[in-house]
Amino acid sequence: MSNEAKPVTIVMIEDDEGHARLIEKNIRRAGVSNEILPFTNGTRALAFLLGADGSGLVNKGRQLLILLDLNLPDMTGVDILEKLKGNDHTRCCPVVVLTTTDDQREIQRCYDLGANVYITKPVNYDGFANAIKQLGLFFSVMQIPKAD
Amino acid sequence: MPISGNALVRSTAALLLVGLLALAAIVGTTIWLVERNQVYFDQGLEARIIRSATINLRNALQDAETSQRGFLLTGEDRYLEPYNKAVPQIPDLLERVVTVLKPYPEAPAAGLRGGVADKLAELTETIALAQAGNRDQAMAIIETDRGKNAMDELRTLFDGIISSAEERIRAGIEDQRGSTNALRWVTIIGAFVIFVVVGGSAWTVMVYTRDIARARADLEAANTGLEERVRERTADLGKANEEIQRFAYIVTHDLRAPLVNIMGFTAELESSVGTLQSYMSGHDDGDDPRWKEARLAATEDLPEAIGFIRSSTRKMDGLINAILKISLEGRRQLRPEQVDLNEVIETSTSAVHHQISENGGSVTSDVKVPRIVSDKLSLEQILGNLLDNAVKYQDAARPLTITVRAALAAGNRILIHVQDNGRGIAGADHERVFELFRRSGAQSLPGEGIGLAHVRTMVRSLGGEITLASELGTGTTFTISLPRDLRDHVGSMQ
Repeated sequence: MSNEAKPVTIVMIEDDEGHARLIEKNIRRAGVSNEILPFTNGTRALAFLLGADGSGLVNKGRQLLILLDLNLPDMTGVDILEKLKGNDHTRCCPVVVLTTTDDQREIQRCYDLGANVYITKPVNYDGFANAIKQLGLFFSVMQIPKAD
Repeated sequence: MPISGNALVRSTAALLLVGLLALAAIVGTTIWLVERNQVYFDQGLEARIIRSATINLRNALQDAETSQRGFLLTGEDRYLEPYNKAVPQIPDLLERVVTVLKPYPEAPAAGLRGGVADKLAELTETIALAQAGNRDQAMAIIETDRGKNAMDELRTLFDGIISSAEERIRAGIEDQRGSTNALRWVTIIGAFVIFVVVGGSAWTVMVYTRDIARARADLEAANTGLEERVRERTADLGKANEEIQRFAYIVTHDLRAPLVNIMGFTAELESSVGTLQSYMSGHDDGDDPRWKEARLAATEDLPEAIGFIRSSTRKMDGLINAILKISLEGRRQLRPEQVDLNEVIETSTSAVHHQISENGGSVTSDVKVPRIVSDKLSLEQILGNLLDNAVKYQDAARPLTITVRAALAAGNRILIHVQDNGRGIAGADHERVFELFRRSGAQSLPGEGIGLAHVRTMVRSLGGEITLASELGTGTTFTISLPRDLRDHVGSMQ
């Protein structure tokens, strides 16, 4: 996952720090060395993604890939997804929804709102680790557009 | 005033009886009075006949007498014409009077005969004398007043007869008027009684009908209230059920998240310990006790601890998955469809067929109600679980025999019995086995203790109930009661 000038940054919005750490470890195991920025709540994540003014202009020139958990303490991941996909500057950033819910309506809703990938966290750890590793491998071949 | 059904019947019957009596009285009296009238009429008619016959006789006699006197005075034959005309009629007229007077023995019929004969004799004699030219002699006879006396007597008799006849006529008319009056009164009183009876009946029926209508309205109101309450309760129940399922779902999801961490970091720990072990196995730092201790920790204590953590988390994972499975089952949308029980049993049996026939066992089925409307998948899972259990807990001492029976039960339900000759369940555990994570008896095979809990959840969501009868060492019979048509049950839950 690269481009000519700046490396792609992975923004990980995940309230469970243990999960965040395990995700990071397994992504690394897949050979992904990009910077990973963890956020444990939606407010701080949105502040980073849309800027303090909420306009999203801060993203100019950034290349971001967003890993989003739907269960957050301060808001639902769906709200964040809606804001990101509704903003002209963050619309192009790929969003990978990574959550425990396998409710069909929830999945449908996320894709309707513009989610790029929806992954259900496997229940057991081996499956979980495997899924994240594969996601990491997928990341390594992905092309990410530059936000404008 | 409320009227009970019995009182209504009694009072109505009494009123009807009174009305009937009144009617009978009217009819009876009318017939009797009509008869009486007929009698009066006949009597009146008779009296009139007597009167007119008597008058006729009298007139004829008077005609004859007048004619006689005219003839005697003038000596002219033309005065004799009325006499000649009247005399031949007189015997007939007399006979007629005597005849009609027969029913009245007190009437002077004999006197009449005698008087008439006397008068006729006098008339005949005088006329004959006059015609013979002895007019003086005839006059002499007249002067004896013989004829006059006879005629006077007859007149008296005639007057008596006529007046008594007139008296009878008047009395008859009087009687008739009386009976007509009586008829009028009877009719009026009877009509009044009938009006009272009809009015009374109508009033009673009206009061009773109003009572019934009011009672029915009350009942309907109560019914509507009841239905409303049942609907509310059912809705509450449905909501509570949904809440519990959501709760179970959320809890399991939230429990899973930390568990993934525990398992994940245990894996991390394990790989770190692996690294440590491989490093330590390559080095030997001699007699340093701390080195020995560290090596012991890395090669024995840590792997042991990790092993326990792993097995515990795996077990916990299994339990959480079990709860999740049940909660998902509760959330699953049921699809009522025509189900052939034979087919479902066939499907479920074939899954365990190999295991059963391995030990010489057999499955037989006797389905009396093959067609029901239910959720096929749930039915297959229920039967599958029960058959699995039968296989799992069979008695090694004898070949397994399973019998599946289905029969119609009261209330449009069906009963499905699954009977085995396995180890059986101790009486104290009959309810416990349906609880989540509970198992009974000697456990020779691994399991989480969710099978029967799952089965019960599914049976209940199909609107049914499952019970068991079992004796330790003899076998177990599970009895499932299901509605014949799942849509009835689903309908009542909405």
